[in-house]
Amino acid sequence: MAKETWKNYRENKSFKPPPLKGIRVLEVCTILLGPAGPAFLGAMGAEVIKCEIPPRGDTVRQMVPFGHFFRDQAPAAVHINTNKYWLGLDLHKPEAQKIFCELAAKSDIVEDNMRPGTMERWNVGYRQLKEINPGIIYISKNGFGQWGQYAEENRPSNDGAAQALSGYAWMSSFPGRPPLKSRLYVCDTYGALMGELAVLAALHYRGKTGKGQFIELSQTENIMRTMSWIWPYQQITGKVARPTGNRDVSICPADTFRCTDDTFVAIAAPAPEEFKGLCTAMGKLELAEDPRFKDHLTRLEGKNATAILKIIAAWVRTKKPEEVEQLAEHYGFAASHVYSSKDVVEDAHFRERGFMTNIDDPVLGPYDEYEFPVMMSKSPPKVKWSVRAVGFDNEYIMKHFLDKSEGEIKELYQCGALGKWADVQGCRPPSHWDGKAGIIKARD
Amino acid sequence: MKKAARTSKAKQQSWSDWVRERDDPRIAHTKPEALDDITVLDLSSKSFAGCLCSSLLAEFGAEVLRIEPPEGDFLRICTPYGMLHKGEGLNYLTEGRNKFHITLDLSRPEGREILKDLVTHADVLIETYRPGIMDELGIGYEQLKEINPGLIFASITGYGQFGPMSQSRMPDYDNIAQARSGIQSGTGEVMPEGKSYNECPWAVPTKAGSWIAWSVAGAFMAVGILAALYWREITGEGQALDVASGEAYARLDDYAALWYYDTGIIGERFGNLDVCAFLYCFAPTKDGAVFLGGLRLEMWQAFVDMVGKWDEWGAASWTSLAPFMQREEQLKWASLIFEETRKYTNEELVRMSIEYAKKGRLAPITPVVAPVCSPKEAMKDANWLDRGIFIPIQDPLYGELIAAQAQHKMTETPIRTKWVCRPVGYDNEYIYPKYLGWRPSKLKELKQKGVI
Repeated sequence: MAKETWKNYRENKSFKPPPLKGIRVLEVCTILLGPAGPAFLGAMGAEVIKCEIPPRGDTVRQMVPFGHFFRDQAPAAVHINTNKYWLGLDLHKPEAQKIFCELAAKSDIVEDNMRPGTMERWNVGYRQLKEINPGIIYISKNGFGQWGQYAEENRPSNDGAAQALSGYAWMSSFPGRPPLKSRLYVCDTYGALMGELAVLAALHYRGKTGKGQFIELSQTENIMRTMSWIWPYQQITGKVARPTGNRDVSICPADTFRCTDDTFVAIAAPAPEEFKGLCTAMGKLELAEDPRFKDHLTRLEGKNATAILKIIAAWVRTKKPEEVEQLAEHYGFAASHVYSSKDVVEDAHFRERGFMTNIDDPVLGPYDEYEFPVMMSKSPPKVKWSVRAVGFDNEYIMKHFLDKSEGEIKELYQCGALGKWADVQGCRPPSHWDGKAGIIKARD
Repeated sequence: MKKAARTSKAKQQSWSDWVRERDDPRIAHTKPEALDDITVLDLSSKSFAGCLCSSLLAEFGAEVLRIEPPEGDFLRICTPYGMLHKGEGLNYLTEGRNKFHITLDLSRPEGREILKDLVTHADVLIETYRPGIMDELGIGYEQLKEINPGLIFASITGYGQFGPMSQSRMPDYDNIAQARSGIQSGTGEVMPEGKSYNECPWAVPTKAGSWIAWSVAGAFMAVGILAALYWREITGEGQALDVASGEAYARLDDYAALWYYDTGIIGERFGNLDVCAFLYCFAPTKDGAVFLGGLRLEMWQAFVDMVGKWDEWGAASWTSLAPFMQREEQLKWASLIFEETRKYTNEELVRMSIEYAKKGRLAPITPVVAPVCSPKEAMKDANWLDRGIFIPIQDPLYGELIAAQAQHKMTETPIRTKWVCRPVGYDNEYIYPKYLGWRPSKLKELKQKGVI
């Protein structure tokens, strides 16, 4: 717990430096799998320059729940574009490619999620950039990786394709029902996260040797890695792994149950003292000694697991979720009602920890957002701002990173290498924007 | 002249061949490891998040000492249907990789002194006990940083190290974290009109089948650890890190919190359609289902064209995807789309998409079409076999085993799986002499006392 260490963590965050200060990242990414990775680095203090093709930019700018824009921005774009600088750069143009190379010479990391070979066609692929900057760490993320049959067929991909092809969706439904797609773009965001793991490992290696490298990540392969037991199970038994709805087949009891008010509560109580606690809470202590349930391995067997889950389900049907939670706290097993998005946003614990927090964005205004979920006692990550209109920071980047003169910048606009937003929702600034707020004048 | 020749040779070789020659997992063992100068103590208990976290570091070459109580970690017997392989649960088996498995009884003062000795050699310590337990034992962050100020002390728990719920007695499990994330509530089949839970017990908030919340918590912590290592290189300082599993998984969520903040709308289940994206669904086919994706108008138009409905549905006149994203429109279009996809097999639709990219009216734009596979089909898919994700690991103790690997492919410091797992305390005789200089007689004595 380390009381002193975490005292006033939330309040003191602003006065402490983030861990990746001084690292510069160039991003040529769209939708979620690409941009979410640099956003994680951005939250940890890296300087991320997001390059978009003007005037419409990233496709994620049009991802809106049932058509709803938030202050002219796509909600999906807000969440995965933390602390970035926004450059409208048309990489089809040779002048823009030259600018990109100049930036790459001064950067540590480049990230793309184009189809294989695209960046190379734009003369900014890894083979070209490493000639300019041998220490560059370059990651390319997509559905199928850089080589192999699917990559060679140039198949497009995205999160849903990865959920489908990996078997992840197949394993996430109820028995006898069709495979179910997660509401979460899990292969995108988890792929993005795991990509940064390799990037940071490569950064560590570069610190020792000066050498950069190329990294590829297929989000389909990445999600397969989380499907732990499924692969050896299929290999050893020769059977296909089957979905089991909300029941966890490796932990018993662990399932989601319906309460008396038709809401839902998840319960887990596998370890001996936890299971005993649950049996006591149910007023059925004898179950803890029942030979079918006594030890975990026996309890996990098909018939036994079904039997104990049925008993628990009947008990929960008479309870409200908060009653089950209170009993869990008292008897030392785990329970939680199934949180809605409202519950997450309003949860007092999440707020107190600063995990759910109100961001005061100079352009967008205030909004609620999830903080980076690794709390770091000395170098806290922090969400400071989010999505900007396409090309919003062009001048700042050209002047301060590349020392371009007003005349040079003007030429870059004239030839179409630089550009700004289209006047459409998702691409332009919020209607309340005064033309000044959020424009960066100096770096901290 | 020489340089020009080299450049033209590089041009001859395709990008994909060039990369494969350098990052094929089959040659990983010939290359250096990124984290081979880092030592990690993994004390995690009853936590797949902790085990995965240290596995991820071990794959990059960190020396991980997996420290268990003498009776072994409970996670070893968290295994599907109670199945053991050569005495080991399958989940633990897949995430024991590359670690040295030693035992130490931290409930005894002697065990804690030994831990402190190990801490002087360590860069990172991973633990998953309830907040406060390590402090009570005298081996919390504030105590250990006195011994080793550079230590990165990483705690993964259900509720985190501070905040009103941090003192909860409730343990951390994956299904609880999934429930707390807000994601489970929005995932699942929609209740058919006029039906009830009794008739349709599957039309409920549905969690993911895999231990995804635990995996995400472990991966976030591994990322945090590497960022903290970078910070330490600059400042020389270690620090404490805190991940709560429910928060970690919730952080992967996207628009839901902001949508609620802005409109008060609580995201409901929408089955295999998508609240925030169109074209984006699972569609039934003659022999199963496919995923269909096209997040740009042109990709949706390409799909319509591909199934021969360009004129009938008036695709040429569409100017924006926005109208299709409304709830009622999504439902209307879904039934029209499904009527078409049911005419074809999965394979036919996949081929149609690949062909459309070559010859279609909007080529090279084409919709995403991917078959919904069982994990058995996935495991036999020649593409993944070729890419080395399922290369059987030849383990001296557990035999030939398939555990997913090589999810990162890297040209200089690729990850690798050297062994899958080890039994409880298997490496005591190697690790204690190596780190603490113990002689065989001391090992024997502590074993007899039950400290290791």
